[in-house]
Amino acid sequence: MVTLLKHREEPAFNYLYDHYSGALYSVILSIISDRELANDLLQEIFVKIWRQIESYDTTKGRLFTWMLNVARNASIDAVRSKNYRQGLQNKELTENVHHAAGSIEINSDKIGLRKIVQKLKEDHRILIELSYFEGYTQDEISKMLNMPLGTVKTRLRSALLQLKQAIKP
Amino acid sequence: MDIQAYIQSGIIESYVLGLASAEEVTEIEELRKQYAGIEQAIMQFSILLEEQAMANVITPSAELKAKIIAAVQSESGKSHVSPLISQSDPVPPSESSSAVVRSISKWKFTAAASVILLVCSAVLNFYLYQKFDNKDKAYQALLTERNTLQASNQVYQTNMKQWQSAAEMMMDPVMAKVELKGAKGSNEVVQVLWNTNNKDVFVMTAKMPAPSKGKQYQLWALIDGKPVDAGVLDPNCKSICKMKNMPQADAFAITLEKEGGSVEPDLQALYVMGKV
Repeated sequence: MVTLLKHREEPAFNYLYDHYSGALYSVILSIISDRELANDLLQEIFVKIWRQIESYDTTKGRLFTWMLNVARNASIDAVRSKNYRQGLQNKELTENVHHAAGSIEINSDKIGLRKIVQKLKEDHRILIELSYFEGYTQDEISKMLNMPLGTVKTRLRSALLQLKQAIKP
Repeated sequence: MDIQAYIQSGIIESYVLGLASAEEVTEIEELRKQYAGIEQAIMQFSILLEEQAMANVITPSAELKAKIIAAVQSESGKSHVSPLISQSDPVPPSESSSAVVRSISKWKFTAAASVILLVCSAVLNFYLYQKFDNKDKAYQALLTERNTLQASNQVYQTNMKQWQSAAEMMMDPVMAKVELKGAKGSNEVVQVLWNTNNKDVFVMTAKMPAPSKGKQYQLWALIDGKPVDAGVLDPNCKSICKMKNMPQADAFAITLEKEGGSVEPDLQALYVMGKV
């Protein structure tokens, strides 16, 4: 499959799309709620996967893990881009909703992995939210939460272990 | 190394989720080659994550699929363009020697062009450096000029302040003004101001001629006919000069004494004198 993709065989791409688009779309929507933007992102991500398939190293992990990281990074970049933030600000002004960094309200319409994260202990939840879904570095989180970097690191790791337990069927 | 502890530290999960730091990534990618347990743990968590994602699918619309397939096709079309061109530019075998000549002359041309560009660049660099150097010098000159102006401005300001305080003193009603007139009938006039409250004494030096070398003016207060030293005049004081405090005085006199002043006045060198 990967070899076919690397040779840029289009049927292989069709298969890839049919098989993984739903899962990747769900990943995007867990980070970005705007459907239109998510559609654009899904296209951007598949083009990126198609373009960068050569850089995917089968020894370093599964294809889906690689695609998942491509999708997550692209979604976070989109959230952090100026246009999206301005759009969000306007929305906030009109809808009068307060959204401060680090104090994400527990939203019932969170999906996928993010939904599972909502069930974790508050200090675990916030660390995964900020690092995995909002893309802040541990250094930034340490400053944001006024917490030593070492504490952020160990607490995030134990949060991820909790998350793993929660995913397990 | 305690592999079990490493696996259970949460590093595997942060690596798979893309949350590990660059050093941690290097470390774990080294370790997974050495320890099958680590490799296995990475795979297990990756699969767990994949299963979770595959169980939570949101299917995008069919139009979106068509759009994306089209986008990717145009993308792969682009990437095929370059190999096609290079393939459709074949060199017939019979012309191989001329092709070699062509490629050598091409190489020569490139080399010549590079040398010309290098020379141009060197000339431009030299020219720009000269320009920069000139500007730098001009800037330094301006800087010096500005400092000079600032310094003289400061001098003017100090003088101005001195004159202002002199004027204020002259108008102050507590200041007794004593006119010292030239001895021997000359028409020199020197003003002495004497504060009747705190008894401070000032001399207006503006009209006095500069003393000859090694000499200095000295002010005397006459009390019951006896001269008392009221201080020498600072040659640097150009407007109004503060002298010694004099609780009482019947008259003031200025003599020209040797530099540093004298204990007894040289009455031969009496310059001006006036009664209070």
